[in-house]
Amino acid sequence: MRTRTAILAAVAAGALLASAACSVEKDDPAAANAACGPDRQYLIGMSQANNAEPYRQVMNNDVTTAAEAVKGFEVVVADAAQDNSKQVADVENFLTQKINLLIISPNEAKPLTAVVKKAYDAGIPVIVLDRKVEGDAYTAFIGGDNVAIGKAAGEFYATRLLPDGGKVIEIAGLPGSTPAAERAQGFRDGIAANPKIQIVASQPGDWLREKGQSVADALLKAHPDAAAIYAHNDPMAEGAYLAAKAAGLDKKIKFTGIDALPVPSGGIKAVEEGRLAATFQYATGGREAVDLAKKILIDCSKDVPRSTTLGTQQITAENAKDVYAKLGGS
Amino acid sequence: MVPELVRMSGITKRFGGVLACAGVDFTVRAGEVHALLGENGAGKSTLMNILSGVHTDYEGDVAVHGEVVRLRDPADAQRHGIATIHQELDLVPQLTVAENLVLGREPRTRARLLDRRAMQRLAREEFAALGIDLDPNRPVGSLRVGEQQLVEIAKALSLHAQVLVMDEPTAALADAEVSRLFEIIDGLRRRGVGIVYISHRMEEIEVIADRATVLRNGAVAGSLTPAPEHRPQLISLMVGRSVEAMFARPKTQKPAAEARPLLRVAGLTVRPRTPRPGRAEPDGIDLSVDAGEIVGLAGLMGSGRTELLETLFGAGPAARVTGAVTLDGLPYAPKSPRAALARGVGLVPEDRRGSALTLPHQVDHSMVLSALSRLTTLGFVRRTRERASVLDMMRRLAVKAGAPTAPVGSLSGGNQQKVVLARQLMTVPRLLLLDEPTRGVDVGAKAEIYQILHRLADEGMGILLASSELPELLGVCDRVVVLRRGAVAADLDPADVTGDDVLAAAMTAPGGTDR
Amino acid sequence: MTLLKTPPALARLTGGRRELVDRLFAVQSLVALLVVFIVAILASPTRDGEILFLTAGNLGNIVRAVSEIGIIAVGMTFVVLLGGIDLSVGAILGLSAVGTATLMVDSGYGIAPTVPAVLAIGAVIGALQGYATARLGIQSFIVTLAGLQVARGLARIWSGGLGIPIAYGDGPLQAPPAFEILNGSINGVVPVPAVLFLAVGVAAIVVLRTTAFARHVYAIGGNEKAARLSGVPVTRVKVAVFAVCGLLAAVAGVIHAGQLNQGSPNDGAGYELDAIAAVVIGGTSLSGGSGSMGGTLAGALMLGVLNNILALNNIDANVQLLIKGLVIVAAAGLQRLRRGVA
Repeated sequence: MRTRTAILAAVAAGALLASAACSVEKDDPAAANAACGPDRQYLIGMSQANNAEPYRQVMNNDVTTAAEAVKGFEVVVADAAQDNSKQVADVENFLTQKINLLIISPNEAKPLTAVVKKAYDAGIPVIVLDRKVEGDAYTAFIGGDNVAIGKAAGEFYATRLLPDGGKVIEIAGLPGSTPAAERAQGFRDGIAANPKIQIVASQPGDWLREKGQSVADALLKAHPDAAAIYAHNDPMAEGAYLAAKAAGLDKKIKFTGIDALPVPSGGIKAVEEGRLAATFQYATGGREAVDLAKKILIDCSKDVPRSTTLGTQQITAENAKDVYAKLGGS
Repeated sequence: MVPELVRMSGITKRFGGVLACAGVDFTVRAGEVHALLGENGAGKSTLMNILSGVHTDYEGDVAVHGEVVRLRDPADAQRHGIATIHQELDLVPQLTVAENLVLGREPRTRARLLDRRAMQRLAREEFAALGIDLDPNRPVGSLRVGEQQLVEIAKALSLHAQVLVMDEPTAALADAEVSRLFEIIDGLRRRGVGIVYISHRMEEIEVIADRATVLRNGAVAGSLTPAPEHRPQLISLMVGRSVEAMFARPKTQKPAAEARPLLRVAGLTVRPRTPRPGRAEPDGIDLSVDAGEIVGLAGLMGSGRTELLETLFGAGPAARVTGAVTLDGLPYAPKSPRAALARGVGLVPEDRRGSALTLPHQVDHSMVLSALSRLTTLGFVRRTRERASVLDMMRRLAVKAGAPTAPVGSLSGGNQQKVVLARQLMTVPRLLLLDEPTRGVDVGAKAEIYQILHRLADEGMGILLASSELPELLGVCDRVVVLRRGAVAADLDPADVTGDDVLAAAMTAPGGTDR
Repeated sequence: MTLLKTPPALARLTGGRRELVDRLFAVQSLVALLVVFIVAILASPTRDGEILFLTAGNLGNIVRAVSEIGIIAVGMTFVVLLGGIDLSVGAILGLSAVGTATLMVDSGYGIAPTVPAVLAIGAVIGALQGYATARLGIQSFIVTLAGLQVARGLARIWSGGLGIPIAYGDGPLQAPPAFEILNGSINGVVPVPAVLFLAVGVAAIVVLRTTAFARHVYAIGGNEKAARLSGVPVTRVKVAVFAVCGLLAAVAGVIHAGQLNQGSPNDGAGYELDAIAAVVIGGTSLSGGSGSMGGTLAGALMLGVLNNILALNNIDANVQLLIKGLVIVAAAGLQRLRRGVA
């Protein structure tokens, strides 16, 4: 019996492949996507690296919300759950579904380059979000500029938060990650204008709220006279706030974060509720990607910007409520 | 008049078609020790399992204190004051003595917490009443077997047991522990507890029991007062007379010149690195098996038959082995069953299901398992050759199976045993070790297996056959070696002896009574 | 009247309801694969009148997507038949991918020394695990849980924690272009990893059906004590089985590196569970001694078809997890049912 199962399974698997081989070259992928213009239906594939990160969840929301407003756009989202192989398969499945445009936020550059090129070569416009792929086989890249964000934060410290100077504790992102390095560098550029500001400590919080809390716990023991804590993201800033509160220092110290996600647990709400002094938006690019898609598919524009750098926005108590509403937070 | 605690009358119990008990009457009176004797399979366990509520479907009546009851389960039996001390003790080794004593009915404080003080008080009281000196706080796992047994007895009594069934209580005890146990049993007797004492050891029964009942083939063979002068009577009650006819064997007298020494064992002693309780390792065994000879291994439970066979097959525990063993004149000390098979030694193990077969596996695959190297080329099984040898073996042993590919579990016990035997024969052994090869096998298949063994011996194979069935040993074997506590107690010629002699040798130390 | 007579073959097939049921159960994993396949066709979205699920590229993609898990599951089947489990395969895949990238690109060895070296590493790790379970008597679950950590740690150390890219060319720090074949496909449609998977699968079917080694594996898994007493070299077989499992995980790792043009130390996380799922869906008993390789192949393909059709229909990622969980439970339930019937 076992024998028969085995043989039949092998035959079945072979047949699967054989049928694939027989029906070769039936479709011409380029033809399906050549057309553009209004009053047509378009299927857009959104390949996300990892839905489990709130930032990426917001990115998905931005894409789907923006697409709903465009007549003829339908978005399908696939989650690679941080697995490169899975993301490759996701894009392959999109190609099977004959999507008209691909938006991808790659998990890692190198492993996704080939499949993105495959889509691009098949005549499908590709918009790459946040993280890049290698080479030039894509239509457009949209991403934030972490150096600029860090610099904006630094300038905010130099002119508004600590015009008279003071000691600053930095809680950095995961060591070795590019955003952490860039947000640190930009910040130092920004505070250079005010020599009275001094970074007395910098420790990694690995992007995590709990790690931010434990690091701040320790650093506040060493530097109870700190005037502000600069965290590389909002969750770590919130963690630092909790640590300061436990030490009775929360009224004395100012906290700032980065990301400003328009979600209830995000930085904008924390600013609105007074825990953080400010946060700086790291835009998801979701809306911008849909705008670009609209230009490519509906306006038949051949001339779209190859690379778009998203600006940041400073969120303080004055504008928190408005920005939250504007970004579609719920 | 001494009150009767328990009266079992006309107890009949069947397992499928097998009659395990046939109209047995049995009573236990207050303050007596009633020995229950019989060979393996005579019905002792079945009778006691009915008394302790394990078997609930039987014919006949069980009366406790004159009132007929139907015991639903062991807990119910306990409620009626009947407790059993099994050979494998029912204690939790990780818990302390006191905790075991009150397991399942722990005293609580008013806050519903464990009341440790009450627990220990209870334990101390119980031990004092029994005259035992034991620390209630020691974990049971750290106690010796004899001490654990005392805990078990104390536990039974704390549950107000009036009838205590003790199954081979001295099997794993040292001499000093045995005398202490007897003192305690004496004390219980004075308290009016009735004790059913199951044992093979005549000397003990003569010392401790007030009367003895012998079961044979599921029926009461007789009842008498144990005393040294009654010993032959007791033994013949146990063995019976009629059974030997079935084993009548055409004894082909082999010329003495043909006798070629195959296995020689001299002073074989095994000392395991980590001793396991309940095992009787070989302790100075001298033994020989000639080619074409069937040598029987007799002995009671725990006499070391299985342990000897395992040692000879390289399947014993890691141990220091001393003594000289030769096979065909060459030193023989197998490190593994594989090595033993390579030297031409095969074993049919005692526990068919546990140690030999996987019931869902195919008959043919099970048969060839040990001989695969003879049937393969470059690691690939030669199907046609395999099939031919399986069919050949099935014919030779008359294995009844639906097909060679049928699962082993679909075969009857006798045919399963033939599959195990076939597996050994496929390796073409010169020496075949068999451990209880006819256990759980019906009479017809038994006879067939005996015929096979005779044929193999006639072909020149040496056979060492361990069995607890005396008629089988006497009927099949050329010689019977009797083991007792890991040593040879006697080497007998079946032509000259009866079952009584074998049993006497198995039960009595060579120098007479040793206690 | 002869026309009304049932042909013998059909009579045999329909010889009784019970018999028919038995026959279906005997090939249950294949039947299940067929059912899933048909359901997938019915559930497939269409575009321009074409059933997307059945398009050439898609079927190729399905087999390609399960090829790594499938190859691992083949090795896992041997281990599970033995009554064990191997949790280290995902980590060995990651280690092998890193090893492939490091040796071939950073160290500049060609394909010839690199691939055998990486496969040897996988086999050795597997063999060590097999030895530990067999001789030290530690459960394979524990041993391979430890092996998982060790392999993952080695991969991170070796790679410095970062993915090592594989670029092709003849220059220094480039991999031989021939290696890129792992990323390619025959005829432009049948992916090379899929072919490798089926080759490994068919070889494993042959091994499991025809060798003494396989008989030993079944014997040990069914009743280890009996196997030992029957002269089966238990330690040797266990070491070999775990070595094969580690080797196949390494094969999957090489393919992984070739497909993604990168060796990343964190790759393959959780693959062991997918492989175990394929084995279980294929009808192999986790208690050892019974099961088939064909079932595993069918199980892996079934997972692939399932993943694909859920994705094609844009089922929400979280709901996908739910459905896959239910399918695994159903497959295990079917096994119990089968035992009850047979």
